[in-house]
Amino acid sequence: MFDIKLAGENTIIIYFGDEVAPELAEKIAFYTEFLQHSLSDFIIDMVPSYTSLLISYRLDLLSHQDFCNQVSTTLAKAIYVKQEQSSDVVEIPVYYDPEVGLDLDRILLETELSLQEFIHIHSQRTYLIYAIGFSPAFAFLAEVDQRIQMPRLKIPRIKIPAGSVGIADKQTAVYPIDSSGGWNIVGRTPIDLSLNDYENLNRFRVGHQVRFKAIDRQEYLSLGGQF
Amino acid sequence: MSFRVIKSGFYSTIQDRGRFGLTHHGLSQSGVADEHAYCWANHLLGNAINDAVLEITFGGCELIALIDTGIVVAGADLGFTINDKPLPNWQVLAVKKGDKLSWSTPKTGVRAYLAVQDGFQTTEYFNSRSVNVREKVGTLIQNGDELLSEPVKPSDIGKTMPAWFRPDYKKALILRLLPSYQFDKFSEQQQQTLFGQTYKIGKESDRTGCRLEGQSIENTPATMISEGIAYGSVEITTAGLPIILLKDAPTIGGYPKIGTVFSLDLANLAQRQSGCEVSFELIDIETAQQLRREFNQFFE
Repeated sequence: MFDIKLAGENTIIIYFGDEVAPELAEKIAFYTEFLQHSLSDFIIDMVPSYTSLLISYRLDLLSHQDFCNQVSTTLAKAIYVKQEQSSDVVEIPVYYDPEVGLDLDRILLETELSLQEFIHIHSQRTYLIYAIGFSPAFAFLAEVDQRIQMPRLKIPRIKIPAGSVGIADKQTAVYPIDSSGGWNIVGRTPIDLSLNDYENLNRFRVGHQVRFKAIDRQEYLSLGGQF
Repeated sequence: MSFRVIKSGFYSTIQDRGRFGLTHHGLSQSGVADEHAYCWANHLLGNAINDAVLEITFGGCELIALIDTGIVVAGADLGFTINDKPLPNWQVLAVKKGDKLSWSTPKTGVRAYLAVQDGFQTTEYFNSRSVNVREKVGTLIQNGDELLSEPVKPSDIGKTMPAWFRPDYKKALILRLLPSYQFDKFSEQQQQTLFGQTYKIGKESDRTGCRLEGQSIENTPATMISEGIAYGSVEITTAGLPIILLKDAPTIGGYPKIGTVFSLDLANLAQRQSGCEVSFELIDIETAQQLRREFNQFFE
């Protein structure tokens, strides 16, 4: 089931559901790839997100109505089989400490958790990549354990250092570059996720998985971590 | 083999048509803000349709030519001179080694485009020379930079754009809107608030988005699950005011969108300063596609 809507003069958006769920994210990842393969002659860009897929296409080759028809026909042919979740899990080392986790002290106070407990809760889960956006290689990961879910800051910070790991409600993410933002910062990765290394574009893909690995100060520094 | 930057100006970047095929990695399409002026500049020079140009916002920019070549300046009138002599936009001009090109302040419009014969050969990032400052993909030009371009014996000196094609950036601007995305989620009364008034362009407008000031749309739909953003999407913020998302906008966002502005009207919008008046009217998808196809075919 899907619903195609107009998004722009050469863009449509397909809605596959209205609730955020891991099954839906995997389904959208599958349809994205299927459409990309089947209609590559027409497609310019695709943006999969939690419940939808945005597609821009070459309007010089076909009209809005023709493209919608092509998409419908193609999707009708696509038979989604629940994929065995790939065993590839991207591991991100994180130094969890108030020294770099700007909101950690407050979170520990509010949640009445010890630092060890917090680290365990955040790093034991395997997270699914639901969407990539906001800035290049910024991956929206979910779902965060209820005990450490935190609403966004009322006043966003002007500058969050690159590598910072944040939590916003059910979501968690790493900021690949210095940016402004309102997420609760709980640690920092020494790994450079910015476009300084072009390979970083391929590190995250919607539908893939991520896990955080706690490291200490010494490891953080030896992996190139900065303060 | 290039142009040396003496004064970088307020906000000057190298741009081409844009960066395509990478929005799923969070890279926005970027590219020139005013496609109309850009296409004409390359067209007059006989350049390829994707050749890179310098987008100069508000002026304050000065370059020294280190080569002989042909150029076109298109778009805004920012008081362009060569060796302090005023020269017209929309015309192929010869430039000699040592010439000083300068843009002072806006007379009409906001963004001037400097196109050189065969395009600027600056660094490519992911198959495009377009700079996106927000994403840290490239930077503004800096004093002392050398903007690479090859010396070419200029051809077609004096070739100019027919007068009837010249846009009037002082004219009141009507933005034609496609009823896309959550258009139907806005009540008739809310739609009436959008179409029934004249907005003013807000100060915090840039290559990412154009913020409009005016009467708020009341009780706007709540923020939603984040989804992909198309060029020209009109977000309605919680305060009930429109933000038109432009070339450098993030690839996904969570505000409801009342429609999408037709791309060639966005080219015109790129030449309007804060305080200018704009209003909206509806356009259907068939008409929008037809107009855009004609534009593309003209420049192919």
